[in-house]
Amino acid sequence: MANILAARAQMGTSLAFHIIFSVLGVGLPLLLCVAEGLALKNKDATWMALTRRWTKAFAILFAIGAVSGTIISFEIGLLWPTFTKYSGSIIGLPFALEGFAFFTEAIFLGLYLYGWDRLSPRVHWLCSFPVWISGAASAWFIVSANSWMNTPAGFEIKNGQVTGINPFQAILNPSTPYETIHMILACYVATGFAVAAIYAVAMLRGKRGDYYRKGLLLGLAMGAIAIPLQIVSGDFNARFLASAQPAKFAAMEAHFKTETGPPLLIGGFADPATGQVYYAIEIPHGESLLVNGDLNSTIKGLDAIAPNDRPNPLPVHLSFDGMVGSGFFILFVGIVFWLLYFFRKRVVPANRLLLWGIFLSGPLAFLAIELGWMVTEEGRQPWTISGFLRTQDAVTPAPWLNVSFLIFSVIYVLLAITLVVLLLRLARKPLPNLQWPLAETDEEESDEMVGAK
Amino acid sequence: MIVAYIVLTLLWLSVIVYAALGGADFGGGIWDFLAFGPQAEKQRRLVGRALGPVWEANHVWLIFLIVGLYTAFPIVFSTVSIALFVPFSIALIGIVLRGSAFAFRGHAAAVTTSKFLGRIFSTASTITPFMLGASAAAVASGQIRAPAGNVQTDLWTGWTTPFALTIGAMAVSLCAVLAAVYLILEARAIKDTVLEEAFRTRAIITGAITAVLGAIGILLSQSEAPLLWHGMLAHAIPIVIATMVVGLCTAAALFLRRYQLARILMLLEVAFLLGSWGVSQLPYIIPPDVTVLNAASPSLTLLEFLISTVIGMLILLPSLWFLFHVFKGENPVPRVQGKGSEGQQHHD
Repeated sequence: MANILAARAQMGTSLAFHIIFSVLGVGLPLLLCVAEGLALKNKDATWMALTRRWTKAFAILFAIGAVSGTIISFEIGLLWPTFTKYSGSIIGLPFALEGFAFFTEAIFLGLYLYGWDRLSPRVHWLCSFPVWISGAASAWFIVSANSWMNTPAGFEIKNGQVTGINPFQAILNPSTPYETIHMILACYVATGFAVAAIYAVAMLRGKRGDYYRKGLLLGLAMGAIAIPLQIVSGDFNARFLASAQPAKFAAMEAHFKTETGPPLLIGGFADPATGQVYYAIEIPHGESLLVNGDLNSTIKGLDAIAPNDRPNPLPVHLSFDGMVGSGFFILFVGIVFWLLYFFRKRVVPANRLLLWGIFLSGPLAFLAIELGWMVTEEGRQPWTISGFLRTQDAVTPAPWLNVSFLIFSVIYVLLAITLVVLLLRLARKPLPNLQWPLAETDEEESDEMVGAK
Repeated sequence: MIVAYIVLTLLWLSVIVYAALGGADFGGGIWDFLAFGPQAEKQRRLVGRALGPVWEANHVWLIFLIVGLYTAFPIVFSTVSIALFVPFSIALIGIVLRGSAFAFRGHAAAVTTSKFLGRIFSTASTITPFMLGASAAAVASGQIRAPAGNVQTDLWTGWTTPFALTIGAMAVSLCAVLAAVYLILEARAIKDTVLEEAFRTRAIITGAITAVLGAIGILLSQSEAPLLWHGMLAHAIPIVIATMVVGLCTAAALFLRRYQLARILMLLEVAFLLGSWGVSQLPYIIPPDVTVLNAASPSLTLLEFLISTVIGMLILLPSLWFLFHVFKGENPVPRVQGKGSEGQQHHD
């Protein structure tokens, strides 16, 4: 495997793995905060049992997220040293800020996970606030750095030298408001529907108690509030890209030729060799209408971009449509559920078809996130820093990157398998007696969590 | 630029804190591996209890160091990423396996799985500090050449010499001493005098090993890291002497069973040891091509990094204090049955 391909493969695999835990690290703390708040306010054992169960799952997920995040921060240097050499002074700061946010989250999570018996219930609940706030802040900082790679700002090039570096301007580059909001909302959509999916499975298997109802409801509440906002955010993002990153936009819409009133292409295989899109569903003037509200506006195609600067529309377009399609499916499921819920006067609909839809929405939401990142990263190629540093120039000269890629891939597979086994085992544990006050976490349980068994 | 030196000092402090806290975590893993005899299981439980609430927070210092280098001295980050690709990759694999093994072990159903994960945890806990120590020695040796930020050394230079291997071994034994000293106090907190004595013995033995390895390292540095050697004899001599004195005092405190004092002295020892290294090398960060001034980012970047760090510390340090107050020390906040769910008690 060529060195640059191995480096990209390793970085991509690491990011695809890590994002799952980052997303849950943003979404789950908010769920915990709300669930525990409801438990304390209503002296409700069911909400407390859900909180306890989610906390245990989160303990494992956070630990894996922490190690996979460490890998990323090393890999930015190990795989892309030329990138770090040039970008550090400009965009290193949000990484440091993310570090502080993560550190805060880790500290308060330590208190939250292990302090059930040592903190008063109110203080324990208050500890959840820094966790979800830091989580969202982390997401914002990191995504602002990615935004910078797409629309670089905060520096000048004079006589081939980088000068006039202004880190705040770099963080507040044009893409930041679009990307950050879109990612943070994605965290809430995915976490909400993933949690709901778990209880949808239980209900499909016949379980009907208050515990499953409440788990489903809270997950869906978070997801269903976030998804319509996310669709709107997506629309804003796409329109912004049409002007800010026309190459990425052309690739994601499989738009080879600059034309007036172009159609919207749904699906299809865009072949860069022939410049044709096969098997796409065409909606006449659709593209033009979406971007400019005008049936006959002119939109740049890939032909307006120099051949060496064009991203590959085949994966970018399919990823984009996969992401959007998943998003609309999830939106549909959410709408149907809440309509039925309110029409039936707050009885949780147990329609099998609907429950299957919820069950599918969980993984689909995560798939949408992975596909979205494919769009933005593949769509930015061949650049690492748009217009300034090509990926092929950013990679390390160190050899054996395919060995490194192999080792880390094996590690990720092993981690994923172990994680799934553990989470399934946790899910199968019998529920405690759901009476207020909920039975104490006993010594054995806490020992489990510290690995001292 | 004074700002560059201030930021460098800050980053050096984070190396020291990482060594003191994260190093103890690694040491815990080493003692887990070396636990033997009838007390082995109790020793492992003690390690687990000690590491549980704080290990993730401890390792964030490493992240701070990495992002700090990336922001403030990017050429240093890119140079060591290339020159020390192999030891850093191995250290990274160790960190990953370690963290996940520790997180998973508590949930293992079978004893054999638990033991297997334990082996991974403790092996990784030994390999990572060794690689980091060898990497530090490689930097100090002056064998990494990177004129104008272009790395010219091969993958094996600097970190495979006898000097580097000695420092790697010293890093491992330093982690072991650190952990042993902390574990004495953990044992005291649960009133187990047998464990207390066990770790006292271990602390004294590994302390001696560390001192011997340190002495060998100094001797080897004459030929293999001459810049370091000369720096130690010249402008860093006060710190070097202080390091030796504090080391002897730590040993004395351990002998006399003055454990609180021993812990403070141990932390000082780590600070002075790493301080000696840093000061001996000045004004170089990666001798002989990369200096503090030619590697530093522009002053606006450094200033914004500094301000962000100050604000970050204002949030983090009290939070960290609260975490340790609740879980650690001679009088951690007591566990109370029935506290977690009543909603009626007001202890804060």
